[in-house]
Parts: sequence; C-alpha cells; structure tokens
Amino acid sequence: MKALPVLKTTRDLKNRISGLKKRRTEDKRPVLTVSAGTCGRARGSLKVISALEKSLKASKLEKNVRVRVTGCHGFCEAEPNIIIQPQDLFYQKVDPKRADDIVGRTVKKKQVLEDLLYKDPATGGTARREHEIPFYKKQNRFVLGDNALIDPTRIDDYFSIGGYGALLKVLTKMSPEEVIGEVKTSGLRGRGGAGFPTGRKWEVARAQKAAPKYIICNADEGDPGAYMDRSLLEGNPHRVLEGMMIGAFAIGAREGIIYVRDEYPLAVENVTAAIEALRGAGLLGENILGTGFDFDFRIAKGAGAFVCGEETAMIASIEGKVGEPRQRPPYPAIKGLLGKPTVINNVETWGTVPLVITKGGAAFASIGTAGSKGTKIFSLVGKINNTGLVEVPMGITLREIIYDIGGGIPGDKRFKAVQTGGPAGGCLPASKIDLPIDYESLAAAGSIMGSGGMIVMDESTCMVDVAKYFLNFLRDESCGKCLSCREGTQRLWEIVERISKGQGKDDDLVLLEELAESVKDASMCGLGQNAANPVLSTLKYFKAEYRQHIRRKKCPALVCKEIVSSPCHYVCPIGQEASTYIALVSQGRYEEAYRVILKDNPLPSICARVCHHPCELACRAGESGEPISIRAIKRFVLDWAEANGVRYVPEPLRQNKEKVAIIGGGPAGLTAGYFLARKGYRPTIYEALPVSGGMTAVGIPDHRLPKEIVAREVDFIKASGVTIRTGQVLGRDITIDGLFRDGYKAVFCATGAGKSLAMGIPGEEAEGVLHSLEYLREINLGRTVPVGKRVCVVGGGNSAIDAARAAHRQPGCEKVSILYRRTKAEMPALAEEVDAAIEEGIDLQFLVAPVRVITAYGKATAIECVRMRLGDKDSSGRRRPVPVEGSNFTMPLDTLILAISERPDTSYIGEGDEIRRVEENIHIDEETAMTTRAGVFAGGDAVTGPNMVVEAMAAGKVAAEMIEKYIRGLPMQRDYWLTRPSTYVPSVSVSEAEAARAERPKIPTLSPAQRRKNFREVERTLSEASACREARRCLRCDLETEDGKAALGGNP
Amino acid sequence: MIRLIMNGLEVQAEEGWTLLETAQFYGLEIPTLCHNEGLTPWGGCRLCVVEIGAKPKTRLVSSCTYPAEEGLVVQTDTKRVIRARRMMIELMLSTAPMSKKIQDLASKFGVTEQRYPPRNEECVYCGLCVRMCDEQMDARAIGFQNRGHKRKISTPFDIRSEDCRLCGACIYICPACSARCQGPSAETDICNACLQIEPTCLEEYGELNCWMYDAGRCGTCVQDKSK
Repeated sequence: MKALPVLKTTRDLKNRISGLKKRRTEDKRPVLTVSAGTCGRARGSLKVISALEKSLKASKLEKNVRVRVTGCHGFCEAEPNIIIQPQDLFYQKVDPKRADDIVGRTVKKKQVLEDLLYKDPATGGTARREHEIPFYKKQNRFVLGDNALIDPTRIDDYFSIGGYGALLKVLTKMSPEEVIGEVKTSGLRGRGGAGFPTGRKWEVARAQKAAPKYIICNADEGDPGAYMDRSLLEGNPHRVLEGMMIGAFAIGAREGIIYVRDEYPLAVENVTAAIEALRGAGLLGENILGTGFDFDFRIAKGAGAFVCGEETAMIASIEGKVGEPRQRPPYPAIKGLLGKPTVINNVETWGTVPLVITKGGAAFASIGTAGSKGTKIFSLVGKINNTGLVEVPMGITLREIIYDIGGGIPGDKRFKAVQTGGPAGGCLPASKIDLPIDYESLAAAGSIMGSGGMIVMDESTCMVDVAKYFLNFLRDESCGKCLSCREGTQRLWEIVERISKGQGKDDDLVLLEELAESVKDASMCGLGQNAANPVLSTLKYFKAEYRQHIRRKKCPALVCKEIVSSPCHYVCPIGQEASTYIALVSQGRYEEAYRVILKDNPLPSICARVCHHPCELACRAGESGEPISIRAIKRFVLDWAEANGVRYVPEPLRQNKEKVAIIGGGPAGLTAGYFLARKGYRPTIYEALPVSGGMTAVGIPDHRLPKEIVAREVDFIKASGVTIRTGQVLGRDITIDGLFRDGYKAVFCATGAGKSLAMGIPGEEAEGVLHSLEYLREINLGRTVPVGKRVCVVGGGNSAIDAARAAHRQPGCEKVSILYRRTKAEMPALAEEVDAAIEEGIDLQFLVAPVRVITAYGKATAIECVRMRLGDKDSSGRRRPVPVEGSNFTMPLDTLILAISERPDTSYIGEGDEIRRVEENIHIDEETAMTTRAGVFAGGDAVTGPNMVVEAMAAGKVAAEMIEKYIRGLPMQRDYWLTRPSTYVPSVSVSEAEAARAERPKIPTLSPAQRRKNFREVERTLSEASACREARRCLRCDLETEDGKAALGGNP
Repeated sequence: MIRLIMNGLEVQAEEGWTLLETAQFYGLEIPTLCHNEGLTPWGGCRLCVVEIGAKPKTRLVSSCTYPAEEGLVVQTDTKRVIRARRMMIELMLSTAPMSKKIQDLASKFGVTEQRYPPRNEECVYCGLCVRMCDEQMDARAIGFQNRGHKRKISTPFDIRSEDCRLCGACIYICPACSARCQGPSAETDICNACLQIEPTCLEEYGELNCWMYDAGRCGTCVQDKSK
C-alpha cells in the first residue's frame, strides 16, 4: 500500500481521520480478526494466521478477505480466537488445522462451525458472538475494547476508528486549562495503584514555571500475574501515545518518555513502530500541524526492577542512576526528571485520557462510584475458569467479577480468597466477596487497588504459603535503601518460612504483626509501605491458619511441604505411615511393612476393609491420574502376614500402672485400650453388647467385613493386656461414680452413636418398618430378620448401602430399591460401595423422597414418594433438593428400612455427672479430649455423631495420650509432630516405560453370581505382583522434605 | 522563614532546612545513624522518623530527608515513633550485634531483647561509607551492589578499585565496626576493624583475602615478615 502523505495542518488530520473512517465503513470485505498479543502468540495464534493466509491464497481469496492481526482481546482462556465479520462470529481455541474449514465453510459458504463456538460450562449453551459470552457480558470494555478493532502496527487502522481525534480536538478547540478541567471533571484517578487524581497532578505541573517539562508513561508493570499494561501497549499503542500528547499539551511538556520493561519485547516493538508511524505522519517534532505544539517521544527500557515502578525510582533510572526511590516532597510534578516538572502516569491512565476528551469528562464520571470513576482493567488469574483481562466499571463486586465474568472456580472448589493489587496488595477472604471494588473500599478492607492484579485462590491454597511467596518476591525486589523494608521483608519472610516449615513459635504471630506494622510505618516509598500487606491481610483474615501451622504443625490446604511431607501419612487420623509401608512393599519387604502398619494401628485388618481411606483422596498421584490404591496394598500386607503366619506379638510389658475404665468396645474404645495397655496401664473395656467391636462388629455385614476378622482383632487387643467385659451397660450395671469408687483413675466414654433417628413421616411406626442399624445388628448377631420379597431402603450413606446389600442377600428377597433425595454425586456413601450395589442388581432411585408409609392392618405395604429436583446450593455447598409438585408415586414393599441418620444415646448421663452435652453428643475440650468432668474423657461417635471407623480410632489414640498425661499430672497439652516416617526407605528406580504403563489395579471381587444369597466377603486381596506394581507407582512424597533428602544422603 | 509546629511549639526554619535540622536547632533530640552533617541526607536507617500531619491522618517520615514545610505539624517522639525506632534498632542489632553504636542505641531505647536470629553481617547498609567515599573523598571506589536482601557494599566487579586511595574514611565512618577497635595499634590506626573481619588479617594473608584487595599496604594487618 502506498504511504499516505505527511500531515501538515490540522485540517489534513481531520480529513485523514474522516477519510479512513469512511473507507472502513465502506469496505464490505469479510474480515478475520485474529488476536495475537503475547499470550495469543504463546498459544499459537501466529500459526493460525499463517495457516489462514495460506488457505485464503489457495482459494484465491486473499484480495477479498482481510486478515486483521490485533492485540489481546482479554479472554486468555479462549486464545487463539478469531472474530469473523460480517457474521460477527467468535471462534475460540482455534487450531491452525481448522484454517481450511474456516475459509472454506465459514467465509465462503457462510456456515457456522459449531465446534469452535464458545460453550458455557455452566449452562451448556453456545455463544455465537463475543458479547454473548458470559465473560464479556458484564464487562465495560471502555479502554480495551478497541484492541479487537485495530492492527496495532498500522496507524491508519487507528485513524479509521477516530484515533487522534482527541488530539485534534485539543489542538484546535481547547486551551491547556480546558483540557485539565475536562480531566478533573472526569474524576480520573491514577491507574497505577495509588489513585492520585490525574487532573490535579497535571494542574500542579502546569503551574510550574520551570522548563522544560516532561511527561512519563509508566509501563514498568512488574506484578506477578498482571499484564493489563502490556496488553494495552501491545494492542493499542497509539491510544497511549495520544493520551501522552494530550497530557503534554496540557502541562506544556516537550518530551515524553515511555519507561517500558525490556521483558515486554512485543510492547517495545509495537510502541517503537507506533512512534515512527507518528513521526512519518508528521505528528511529532516541532510545530506539529502548524499549531505551535512541539513534542517528541523517547523510549527508556527498564531492566526489570519492580521498584522502578515507583515514580522517583523510575526518574532515577531514566537519569541513569541506581533505581532507588527518594523522599517526596518535592513531588515529581514540581521537581522530577532532571529536577524539572514531570508528570508520570500509568499506561492505563494515559490510555483513558483520549476517551475522556472525546466522550467528555462528564460521560466518564457517570460510570463508577462516588470516589472512583470510570472503568478499571483487572487481570483475573489464579484458580478461575475464565482467565483473562477484564475491564469493569468501578464499584462492581468481587462476586460479579469472580462468578459472573470469571465463571467461578474450576472443579467446583470452594472460593477461599482473592489477592488484589499485586505482591504488595492484600488477600481478601470469602466473606468479602460482596465488597464493591474501588480505591477506598479496598484500602479499608486491608488491600489495595494496585495496578489491577487479581489472583483468585481456592481451598487448596495455603495462606501462609501465599504470604511466603509474596514476601519472597518483595525481599528480592526491595531496593534495600530503607532498613525497614530491606531487613523487614527479609525478617518477615524468615518468620513466615519458619512457620511454613512447622518450626513456628508461639510468639511468632505477635512479632510478625509488630514487625509488619513497623515496616508499613517506617518505610519511605510505596513499596515498603505496602510490603507488609501480604502478612497483615492474611493475619487479619486467616490467623487461625497460621495458628494451625504453629501450634498443631498442620497445613489444612496440604501445601506446606515440610509440614505435610507425604499427604497420605499426613491426613491419616491415626497417622499411619502409608508412604513407608508402600515403599517397603515396593521392595518386597512385607514383614517390615506389616510392623509399620501395626505400629500405629491396632485394628489394621478392619481398616484394610472398611476404611474410607482419606489417604487416597489426598494422594498426590491422584492429582494428575489415579491415586495409589493404599487400602488394597495394606490389605495385601495383612493377608500376606496371615497366610504366612507372621504374627506380631506385642513385647511383654509389666502393666503395673493405674486402672482405666473404657466404656464401649468399638473402635475408639479398643484403640484407647490398646495404647493405654502399651503404656503400662490396666484398661478395662465395658461393652453393652455380647460382642466387642462396636459398629465394625454389628453395623457392617459380613460381605464387607467378616465376623472372624473383627474377632481376630479383638483377640489381638486382649492379648496386648486389655480386659474386656461384655454385656455391661452403663447406667444399669455400672456407673461413672461407681467406676471411680472402684479405683479407676480415669474413664473414657466411647459409647458410640446407636440411636436411630425417625424420619417424621406418617406411618413409620408401622410393622415392617425397620431402622438400618437395628436391622444390621440383628443379622450380625446371627438372628434372622425376614424382609419379604420387596425391600425399600431410604438414605444415601454407607449404612443404607450395607442394609440394602444385606437385605438383597436374604433368601426370598427379590428386589431392593434405595431411595435417595439427591443424586449419585452427592451420596455420602463410598463410591465403590455404591458401584458394588449397582453391580449386585440393587435398584437406585435418585431424587426421590418418601412422603408417607401406606399401611394395611398396621403393616407397611407401600411407600408414597415425591420426586425432587436440585435447587440452589445450601450452606454445606451441596445443591438443596426441592420437591416437584404433583409428582407423587407409590412403591409397593414388604419391608422398609430407614437409614437416615443416627445420633449418640447418652441418656445414661445424669445431672449429677457434671458432664456437659450438646443435644445428645458429649461435649469435650478439643485439645484435651476431656469432658467437663475431670478424669472423664470421651471420643468417637458419642462426641462427633456417626463418623468413620478411623476417626473413632484417632479419638481413642488421643484419649490414651491425654489420659496418661492426666494421671501423671502432666500439662494437658497434646504433642504435635511434623509428619515424618519412622524410617526412610530408599526409592526404587522405575523406568519411564513402566511409569507410563502403570495404572491403578482393579480390586478383585467375587462375581455378582458368586455373591448371590450368601455373605461371603466380596472383595479379595490383591495378588503379590499387582500389589508390588501398585506400590512402585507411589511418588514418594516423603523423600521431598529436607529430612527425607538428608536421610538418604542428599539425592533420593 | 518557614513556620511550623514541632511537638506543640511554634518553631521557625530557614528555607531548605530539613525537619532534623530544625529539631536540632531547637535542641530536640532525634536519634540518627545514617546521617552525617558532611554528607547528603540518605534516609536509610529510619531511626530519625517523626510523625507528621494532623490526626487521624498522620504518617511517619524520615526527618533527615523531609523538608520543613510551612504549617507542618511534627511530633518527634510519639508512641508510634518510638515503636518504629525500637523495631529498627532491634533489626540492626540482629544484623550487627557487635556494634557499640547500635548497642548504645539499644540501651538508650530500652531494646533489651533481640527476637531475630543474629546474622553478624557487621553492616547495616546505612551507606555512610559509600557517601563518604563519593562526597568527601571524591573517589567513588565503593558502592552498593544488588538490591533487597542480596544488597552488599563492594568495589565495582568485586576487584580492587584503582580509585581507592586506602584513605580509610569508609572504615572511620562505619557505625557497625568503628567502636570495635581492639587491634595492636588502636591509637594510631583508624579503627583496626579489619581485625574483626573474617578471615582476620592477623593470620596468613594473601591478595585474595585482603579486605582492601592490596595486602599489607594499609598497615593495619600484621604481616608475616619471615616470608
């Protein structure tokens, strides 16, 4: 294309703009707009462009179709994307291979390629146009919007959308004072972070007599995860240059400097080209367009120092000095670059100025809140579905940005916090989600607007780790001049690092807070004054998490490596060293593995069958594939030991210490008894039922957990020195006072949760209506309970599945249906149990709730149900089921089993016992496990309500520890340790081929036919080969800690 | 004349005075460390912070760099000021615990505990030596390297500087080592701080471990004459 002539007068400029505008509207050729900012290029948009050009050439369309290469459109998630005119289609995530399709079908035949359209993951609907996409719907792309309209390397494109019209208006129709007045009317505040009113800054600089004056564009954007300035500079450099020229005209400056970091090569390239194009058009130099306005640009490249974004440090850097801030006053507007009046504004501010002039200050001021006007660009990153640049009106709430624009958190995880304002900003918790975003409200909440970084965090983020990360950044990026900032950030980082390693001290939080306040107070520049924000804001909102790290050496988000070590070991309530025994199994050292298991677990065979395995849910191998089958490996070890006659006989111990009474022979009681016996005490367990084992004995049918296994474990406990007396009911045969009188020094109440809850529907007291617990107890005690041909089970927990599978095994039973009011995804039962039930032919009905039991002659004959649908989320985060009107139906039945919920039966506690209860649950001190009565401890389901086996065992273990402390008169504080294995096992070398091939083994089971009408155990043990193979798949997280590395000589 | 309020008193400052100079003129004591009358104000040690402005929007600034402004309200020893100063002293104490000057400051401000693990860097990066070398000795032989926690003071490229005349002014002015002179000729030599530097100059030395990159010339170390 022929270069257009140089512009000589303002009339030339006016004609150029209107001419190109006209040409743009008259050009009816189809346009393919491809986004190619740095982010788009990283995702291959340049390949898409060349593929499109090739394919256009092949179909001889290159003259008739335009390909427009633009900057970033903001929707990083959808890059590379194409907007196709005239249809205005938005294609996302375009592969270069689809270029022929796009040209052949969409351009030529006007077809829509459905698979390239944006699909809303929430509704499943597709959006054809950009503005139909939820990401764009709530945005107001005031400044960024034009990025999609122009090729940043072509000044004519900018002219054709009216570009430099604002400059023309200023040069021809306005005085400098009027320009400043307009900017002041707009209420525009600096977008770099501090939010100083732009008009006022200009006014001060204008009033200075000294000359020359300077204009600086601050493009030293250095926050991790923020790139709005880069995007604007790359995608629309002329907008920024025009803004600077208007500013220069307003204050009387002759030179403009763009301070851009060298790490932004495309931005540097596009701005350089834009300046050259301006010069070529005659818009730079002396006496521009004959108006007497002299102006030129210069680019200063920064070397990537975060502190140089501070204006006085930036001036020092431009002057060629060390980039360190200096004292203000004097402010740069009075004494800036080379001691002359200088106005420094951020890229985004300069980019907004032309729009303020063309659309008018009042129009701009109509957007936003009272103190913060206009729109603001945020880079929305982190744990968010729609990563990208969003431009929103001030005053929008965080919720709108995160959920409506950002599309929420991936994987439906819980939103935890959002970090605004870059490294020196603060973290706002979920409770602040309705906070309107403007300068004042963010500052009041303990964060800052900053330049607009917005990092979303979900529940898998540890706030101590976040604070550590940002402090590490700041201690590197502090210039080091002020002691408070240099030493302060370093010491803050040291303390937080120590906490994240589980080495924090009790008074660390006081010191942290004190030091952070001093850093904030005593530092000279904005960096130092805000450097403590990551600590202060996380301390303000997440102090409990810090305390957990310090006191309990726990990192709830499983992030801090030195604390968590191997997550399987870390999350186990009884602290089983899963990683250790897996490692031993991988090397064939089964006997050692067996001993490692027994060290922490007196009921291993029970756990190996029915544990809900939190270890597998936390397993790091599960993050990118399938978790290690830890429970199956454990079962293999125990079955191997049983088959090979390897028995762990506890070493004989003289039990000569005090007597302890344990009420309840379930997992909690047995575990407490075992550990007390191992400490030398003389525990006696009082069990109400004729058998010990609690729920594991009478609550779980034999097809999951055979009676012999439970009996074997109980025998082991007895052998370790625990006396068990069955058939002893508290309140009938024994009393707490009586036990103390008999010389017991402490009592542990682990009476479980054995009371079934009624549903509260008419007819449920009819004959033929059973409660799952009673039903399971009866059959587990060997009694026959006839259920008839048709059975319905109401509920979605493990006990519902157990009852259903047990009933299905009864002779004569033909059909068992489980009715659950939510869907399969919400079922609290273990997924593998649900699948096994389906496999066995049990009918699962979801979104169904019982309304009443239909009876005949006092006996249940049918159940009337209503269909449900899932409504909004309730407080637990699950979607609440809502009945569907008029959808009632009935199901005939012989037996109805209710498996709703249970609660503890603690009616044996009277007024005089001085034991506080919350409803029926016993209240204990969380730290000491002691009830309100000294010497009486409690744990397990009696405290928590119905819970998992391993949780009850953990309560028993804690009780044993605390009972010893109580009897010995030691301080009643629990001991907490870092998760470390008792022995480090070297890792095995696994070839890449093996690693690629390895997959989680399927646990062998009896076929559904083999299971029919009998109670044989369904799950079988893994073969030795597959157990070893699976163990070799372990990632060995335990070796990642410093101790782990040291134990194995540095390099595992 | 600039009129301002300092600790509730109406005071007058000459054009160009800093808040520190004003306070000193009126006999108000403000502690300093990186400040020296012969050198440009630096504002690095943050000891001389004072509280300015009207409540509730007051803030702390370093008085050695902040110019006296008409009508400014200044408080030189509020609780907030003292708290910040004490924290600065504690931070300095943990990096250079052996410095007499810093120890004196600590005892004066009642900083009795040091809650950070000591680092014994023997430098608080106050920049006095750098400014001394530049402004008074006109040598610019030493300067700051790096930023943040990696900051250190050294010669360009860590090699012996041709501009260094071994005048010793840097050692003379150093607050972190100036009081520790225990050398054999403490009276005649400037401070013998080099004796405290690891590896000490009393042992075998060579070009590589001489602090000034010129073994023997400064005369503060004991030379092994037998070689």
